[in-house]
Amino acid sequence: MSVLDTPNPRRAESAGQQEAVEQERRHASTKRSPREGSRSSPLDRTGTGTRVVILVVLGLALLWTLVPLVWMVLSSFKPATAITSAEPSWLFTPTGEHYAGLFTGGNELIPYLWHSVAAAGLSAVLSVVLGAPAGYGLARSEMRGKRHLSFWIISTRMAPIAAVVLPLFLMFRQLGLIDTIPGLVLAYMTFNLPFAIWLLSSFFSDLPPALEESALVEGCTRWQAFRHVALPLTKPGLVTTFVLCLVFAWNDYAFALVFSGPDSQTLPIAASQLVTQAGIDWGQLCAIGTFVVVPMMLAGLAVRRWLVTGLTLGAVTGE
Amino acid sequence: MATITYDRTTRHYPGAEHPAVDGLRLDVADGEFLVLVGPSGCGKSTSLRMLAGLEDVDDGAIHIGSREVTHLAPRDRDIAMVFQNYALYPHMSVAGNMGFALRMAGMDRTEIADRVRNAARLLRIEEFLDRKPKELSGGQRQRVAMGRAIVREPQVFLMDEPLSNLDAKLRSSTRAQIAALQRRLGVTTVYVTHDQVEAMTMGDRVAVLDEGVLQQCDTPRALYDRPANAFVAGFTGSPAMNLPTAAFDADGASLGGTTVPLPREVLRAAEAEGAEILRVGLRPEALYLDTEGIPLTVELVEELGAEALCHGVVDTGDGDEERLVVRVDSRTPPRAGERVRVGFRTDEVHAFSALTGERLGD
Repeated sequence: MSVLDTPNPRRAESAGQQEAVEQERRHASTKRSPREGSRSSPLDRTGTGTRVVILVVLGLALLWTLVPLVWMVLSSFKPATAITSAEPSWLFTPTGEHYAGLFTGGNELIPYLWHSVAAAGLSAVLSVVLGAPAGYGLARSEMRGKRHLSFWIISTRMAPIAAVVLPLFLMFRQLGLIDTIPGLVLAYMTFNLPFAIWLLSSFFSDLPPALEESALVEGCTRWQAFRHVALPLTKPGLVTTFVLCLVFAWNDYAFALVFSGPDSQTLPIAASQLVTQAGIDWGQLCAIGTFVVVPMMLAGLAVRRWLVTGLTLGAVTGE
Repeated sequence: MATITYDRTTRHYPGAEHPAVDGLRLDVADGEFLVLVGPSGCGKSTSLRMLAGLEDVDDGAIHIGSREVTHLAPRDRDIAMVFQNYALYPHMSVAGNMGFALRMAGMDRTEIADRVRNAARLLRIEEFLDRKPKELSGGQRQRVAMGRAIVREPQVFLMDEPLSNLDAKLRSSTRAQIAALQRRLGVTTVYVTHDQVEAMTMGDRVAVLDEGVLQQCDTPRALYDRPANAFVAGFTGSPAMNLPTAAFDADGASLGGTTVPLPREVLRAAEAEGAEILRVGLRPEALYLDTEGIPLTVELVEELGAEALCHGVVDTGDGDEERLVVRVDSRTPPRAGERVRVGFRTDEVHAFSALTGERLGD
């Protein structure tokens, strides 16, 4: 046996050590960054009994959330007879007739879709555009009563929609904003803007102030430091805020019901109009429901990583 | 190039009991490397940030050159600053970071590229120009931060503990590089650190601060040879000066039964205070093992290779004891528990008031 054949024990040991160090580092990094918290599952550290309980609870929650959605999507592809039959059926020949029906024969969904996109999109864009400077100001200023101001802003988000509908209706009627897209946008801003300010302000608070101080010393005005340094580093926050505002406005029914008319009705209103005295068209209702839910689910998925960061506030590192 | 003047500059944070910086008076000469040093919370960073315009000045004034800048915005002061954690913009490349100020100033693209390349060559970071800060090591980031300051060719460099995030070895080499670079560029520099070795090795002059008050500002040599008070004496030099308390008579101070002779004017000054004790200042390197002198019971010996530090206790007679550190030869150090005698160089004995800590005599 030659020397070359013997495995070098020292080398093996050092390789093993290296791996341990590597593993430790990975472990440390998962611990340090809440953004990656989902990877080191809390299940790793709990006993079997607790594990089973957690899995069962999670499973129930998942069923509770997903079954209605899945059923709605399935039903939207079922022939009308299969939907109303007493026996729930899993096997059927899928049909697009309900979707087709939404766009034909007196049902013109396109304007509703356009109204929804315009009202929700505009209000989300405006919320971010106005919320970013406001949130930045709130995060960086050192005025007295800052925390009270901050709380007051978010507290306006807590008011029930029913409480503001009537006063807003009277104001909108004066201003001729009833049944207009700007009216809806404005109405959505009542709940989106405070939310955007509050969320973005916490994103800005998490940025190290030295970055902007450096920009100030390097010749920036406050606005330029915000524009060239703080804003680009808060991209995850901006996207998260935009998507959440979009979802809130997109899903609104109460404001749209009161303020909109033929020129501004949104998708949720269209859905409600399918419930008539002549009966409920379940197929089309499910189709329109799917139509409303899917884009927001896709938007949520697209920014999922940032969304988690945004919702576990305080986790932004600016990298 | 410019001079800097702090004229009774004061910063009092709202709600704080004492000012963070209290009536700072300091002149920095054109091209000088001035180090602000002191323990944490002494006001050195606040002083620097007031000069940068990042902190309000509550009282007094600050001048850069002939201009008063007390209430000017940071951007109007023509200064460049290196931050403790470098504050590199994570979303920009190294070149983008270094050229940012020039872009903000509306400088021509080709000239920006030229200046950035020159600075990068000077700091040997040319190969990293396209990388993002997070792809760099700590030392490289530090150099990028320096580069960002250099390209602007400002009147003043401000540095806020720029080496504190580096490991010990890199720190000492970078220390020398920064000092050399500053001398080469000749730009007036104010440098903040809590590390007295950095202060003593880098500064033309060193300003020692404590509790918001300037204690002494002088060359490293003068600080070492003639500290103005017990705080400065204990802060400069490594290991720190021994400052035992001792009774005194007409001949000098008495330490463990041995008389440490002191000049008459020192003793007269101590007497004039009405005190019965004073603090004797003896640097570890002013002490040596001898056949006679102060009796010392050795507690611990630290071997440093070239030398050894001998920590011990002096019994002052009245049940009290004082600690002394003696620098000794590393080849023949005493052992722990041993009783030795310590001699001292009489011309290197300092004395401070036990009441105020001020230097006694000349």
